[in-house]
Amino acid sequence: MKSLAELDKLREKLQEEMRLREGKEDVKVVVTMGTCGIASGAREVLTAILEEIGKRGLKGITVTQTGCAGLCHCEPLVEVERPGRDKVTYGHVNEKKAREIVVSHLVNGQIIKEWTIK
Amino acid sequence: MMEELAHHILDVARNSLEAGATRVEITVEEDPASDVMRFSVIDNGSGMPPHVLRQLTNPFFTTKTGKKVGLGLPFLQAAVERCGGNLEIKSEVGRGTTVVATFPYYCWDRPPLGDIPRTIVSLLVGNGHLDLRYRHIYNGHSYELDTREIRSRLKGISLDTPEVLIWLRQYLTESLSILSGGGGYEIARRAG
Repeated sequence: MKSLAELDKLREKLQEEMRLREGKEDVKVVVTMGTCGIASGAREVLTAILEEIGKRGLKGITVTQTGCAGLCHCEPLVEVERPGRDKVTYGHVNEKKAREIVVSHLVNGQIIKEWTIK
Repeated sequence: MMEELAHHILDVARNSLEAGATRVEITVEEDPASDVMRFSVIDNGSGMPPHVLRQLTNPFFTTKTGKKVGLGLPFLQAAVERCGGNLEIKSEVGRGTTVVATFPYYCWDRPPLGDIPRTIVSLLVGNGHLDLRYRHIYNGHSYELDTREIRSRLKGISLDTPEVLIWLRQYLTESLSILSGGGGYEIARRAG
């Protein structure tokens, strides 16, 4: 059973981790969440990314959302931007692909070219 | 098309964020005895003038530049009409907007409520400062979550840290399961 006391413990752990990371630039992950995105599964993709980051205990990743990017036919879209690199956009992402993007791109730095869109 | 009412709720609440809302109140009311399933999204965003309000359920109307369609509310209107429900939208410029969608509880054309914790958590991604109040009323019993309370416990750690959101999703799932007595009609519908 989840309790608020458990949240206090989690907070203490996160505060310690934050002290260690201070000053480093984050990798940015953006999921588009317009109506087109939500209807094609962006919510599921977004939560899969969170879970994968949490499960692997990855630090220094900022996940955010944005509205329709005008590429409705390629939804769900996931953008990854590593500090000092060009932004990479993945299209037609599902939960499984989202988890693989976290492992391949965020952990190992390998772009999955076949899934990217121009 | 949205598969779940929770997808519609996410979509409507995203409109609130796009309208600059800093406070969003989402309420889901399940009242099987009165055959009512209702959700409302109330925000303190920029609100809409009457000429925009009149066009809301027109799929070829949008206020965004570079787009020709706006399908969120037309989808919701269609879902409501399919089962003889009702969609009410009130808005005032500078004050905010209220969206209330009412469905018959027992109607096979009504989308199932779906995964509310996932919707709430998704809404908070990148929006750790949002004051979000979620209220769920089931058979007259209610449960309430306020992100202001969670944030005060976090003492400066951002609410949208992945670990915190994962915790929040599980916490909400368990709390809502207790509220509905650990089962019920909606879960049975989801199982197909």
